[in-house]
Order: sequence, then structure tokens, then C-alpha cells
Amino acid sequence: MSNSFRYDVVVVGGGPAGLSAAMTCARHGLSVILLERGRFAGAKNLFGGVVYTESVLSLAPDLFSEKRLPFERPVTEEGWWLLSEDGVVKITHTEKGLYEKPPRAYTAFRARFDPWLAQKAEEAGVLVIPKVKVLDLICANGKVSGVLVDRPRDWESSELAEVRAPVTIISEGVNRLLTQKAGLIPRDFTPEEVALSVKEVIQLPKGEVEKRFGLSEDEGLAVELLGEATLGFPGSGFLYTNTTSVSLGVGLFLSDFAEKGLKPYELLENLKKHPVMARLLSGGETLEYGAHLIPEWGLEGLPRLCGEGVMVVGDAAGLVNPLFREGTNLAIYSGIMAGKAAVFAHEKGDFGHETLKLYEEAFRESYIYRDLKYFRRLKKFLRENRSLFADYPEIINRVLHLYLSAQGRAKEEVFQEIFGLFRKRRGLTGLLRDFVKTFRFFKGW
Amino acid sequence: MKPLPKVNIDDRIFTLKYYVDEEYVHLKIKNPKICKSCLEKPCLSFCPAGVYRLDRQGEITVGYQACVECGSCRVACPYLNIEWDYPRGGYGVAYKFG
Repeated sequence: MSNSFRYDVVVVGGGPAGLSAAMTCARHGLSVILLERGRFAGAKNLFGGVVYTESVLSLAPDLFSEKRLPFERPVTEEGWWLLSEDGVVKITHTEKGLYEKPPRAYTAFRARFDPWLAQKAEEAGVLVIPKVKVLDLICANGKVSGVLVDRPRDWESSELAEVRAPVTIISEGVNRLLTQKAGLIPRDFTPEEVALSVKEVIQLPKGEVEKRFGLSEDEGLAVELLGEATLGFPGSGFLYTNTTSVSLGVGLFLSDFAEKGLKPYELLENLKKHPVMARLLSGGETLEYGAHLIPEWGLEGLPRLCGEGVMVVGDAAGLVNPLFREGTNLAIYSGIMAGKAAVFAHEKGDFGHETLKLYEEAFRESYIYRDLKYFRRLKKFLRENRSLFADYPEIINRVLHLYLSAQGRAKEEVFQEIFGLFRKRRGLTGLLRDFVKTFRFFKGW
Repeated sequence: MKPLPKVNIDDRIFTLKYYVDEEYVHLKIKNPKICKSCLEKPCLSFCPAGVYRLDRQGEITVGYQACVECGSCRVACPYLNIEWDYPRGGYGVAYKFG
């Protein structure tokens, strides 16, 4: 053997995007190696906690024949909690459809879901190699032909091993170092283009998840927390119920943490100490803390998805929709699309951009791209309309308080006070402007 | 802005599992002089693992062992003064839940 290992496809990173791509290739008979720098696929991965079933089924159609599903609870109630400094207005939705099988979404842990997906990939024939870091791409004449890893090529040598393949799929996650090396993006991202999210998994006493959140054993709650959760900064918190614990987290643009001198874990502590949250979490024990960046560069930061012998999928491409907590599913879809392009390239025997662009074309046809375009102004909209986070949750809490405690008062006065509240916090023109801007944004104008 | 409750980050880090690479320091300050002249030192706050701290002499120390490899300091250091890399394969944080 020469000084390198050869496969049909090499995949960098064992998250949902890479595993989906690898699985798709292997199922079409290609020899696939997946390199993961963690101790197992998922060891480095963290997310809020909701997986959409449809995307998982597209990889594992026999999901429900599993003895043990890789999830925590089906999501049967979801929505938003608008937090004021000491109160909450809960807007949540549930319906019969959310109880039908299969459930539309589940709460989950990445360090359990990803290894399960990796096992599926292995069953499909993928060679999953953990504890290996990819140092660089092997490039010649603008063409990628594999990767250089941080392991010696054999026992006797100290020379680093090369893993060669005509197709390299980059699923390296948000820190898109290799994507940049491949020349698929012109520059690194800025702190304005990513959110920093921190989360704690908090174990509650036995039976308390059900009791405190009004759930039975096979029901789950998933809510986004707005307002005081982020101190009125653009961003959100989240609360997802797991089997015996809750995932509680909060995220802001990284630039806001940096500029305001905020400590992410103190922002989360502030949320935990909120009177409403404190009651729900009392007696809880933090099992794990963690942090992750969320790529929110959107359409303007979208890399070229394929080059000569190389494609990029998942977070590395920035495929998330923070408004709809989509990310894991988009990673899976992009992985499948890239995997199909790799299969096509092997059938054709050509691995150039002209062939691999099948992936880019499929992507542009998909709703992922349509959504990126539709919400291309998201960051600007959030930044320019801080009152949506800073004022409205507080106002809505005050309004409900006034209305619901109006006994013993002339209601004319109560309503005057309510209207006065809007006038004072936003003014009539402010209200109108907020409405028009929000309307325009959701119309995609 | 109201003051946030104080948290000892070590209590949070304590919940995490690490395989510390004693032989490879994956985060380094490129030029310590720049840190000395940096007024805001935002790394002291935005780093979610409290990797960057001040020592008694007022100099920034890098506790790379606690790093959760999120990449914040890579881009949010105002002077891009961090030489950032992942730990070697198999080392660093290993989430139990994630």
C-alpha cells in the first residue's frame, strides 16, 4: 500500500449532516470513511433539543421498530413564554394531531441521538473512525482529493496519514475552517453573524417533570422564552422537557455578549432565578452545562456548496432557521442531497464542480434555500426592532395584569391605563411602525 | 442594565467531562502585549467556559483545559489575538447529554 488510505468518499465530521451524507453514499455501494475528532460521533455536539421526526425517517424508515428510540419525549405542546421581570404570559398550542403517531417532533440529546445515527451509518457500511482530527485538505490544482489527519500512517512512522478520496464532504460544523481552506467562502464569519447559546440540563426530582409541566409520560413541552430571558436583547431562551430533566438555555448574538460584557452563564443564571422559572426548577440539579455557536449568517454568508471534489453540508454551510428551530433536520436534508451528488459523480466517473453541482441545484430547489432567501433580512430585522424583545413581552404582561385584576375599578380607567401603556412604551407611530415592519418581514419583502 | 447574579463558572465546568490533552495547548495568545493594551478585554466575559481570566499581575491567562471548543474567542477577540485550534483527536470536551 502507498502512504495513504483510499476510499470513494471521505466525510469530515460525525454530526447529522456528515452521517446522513455518509449513509446515503454507503447505501449506494460506495466505500465511505467518516472521520470524527470526538471520542464518539456526537461527543462535541450540543443543541437546544428538538428533532423533527420526518427528517429522521428519511434516513431511517424503520425508526419505530427500534427497541429504544434515540429521543426523550414527543413534543405535544409548544409555543412561547413571554417573560416580564417577574411574570409570564404563556402562548402555547396543543391539538389532537400532536398526539397522533408518529409524533412530529421529539426532544433529544445530541450525545445520544448522534451515536444512534452513527450506528445506523455503520450498519449501512460506513467506516466511522472517531478520535481523528482532520488537519487539512489535500489540494492540487484547485482540486480536493482527500484529507490529512493527526494520526501517523502506521506504527513505524511519524509521518501523518492521508485519507484520499475523489469526493470530500465537509461537515465540520459552525467553525468552518476547512470550508475556508477549500476556497468555498471568501472570509471567516463575524461575531454579528453567529449566536452563542448556553444550556443546562437540569434533573428534576422523580415525577416532577410531569407534575410541574402538566404532562403525562409520553407528552412533552417545548417553548421559546422571550423578553426578560435575554434582558430584552435580540435572541431567545428555551425550555424543553426531557424524560426526567429539562433543557434550559439562552442565546444572543455573540457580538452582544462581547460588546455588553455579558457572561453567558450569568445570563442563564438570571433566567433560572426568574420567579416563574425558579419555581419550576426548584430542587433541580444541573447534570451538564454546555455552549455552542449557532450559524446565523444566512443567505449572505452561504458558501459555495461545492467545488472540485468537495462539498459542504450542515452547520458549516449555515443551514439553520433560528425562528423555527430548524437545524438538525436541515443538516440531514443537506447531507442526503450531497450524498446523492457523490453517488452520481461516481456513476459518471467525474468529480468536478460541473458534476457535484447536482447538490447545489437540488439545494436551490429545496425549501431550505427558499427559506434562507425569505428570511435574508432576519439579523437586520432583529437588530432594528429590539422593542420586540425589550418592550412587548413586558407590555403584554402588564396588559394582562391590568385586565385580569380590574375588579373594583371603573373599567374605563383600566382601559385608559392599558392604552396609555402602549402610548408610553411605543407611541402610536411606534406601534404602527412595529406592525408594518413585522408584517413586511414576514411577507419576505 | 441590571446586574446579573454572580456565578462561579467552575461550578458549571465541574459538570462537564474532559479528556485533557496535556501535551498540546490548543489555545494560545498570539501576542501578550496586545492583551495588555486591550481595554475592554471582552474575552473575560463572553467565553462561556471562563477560559480567559486575569492573574494577580492583571495578565490574561488561558485555561485551555476548560474549553468547550465553541469558537467564540476565535472571532470575538477584538484583535483576533487568539491562535485557535481544536484539541487533538479524542481530546477535549466530551458531552454526556449535549
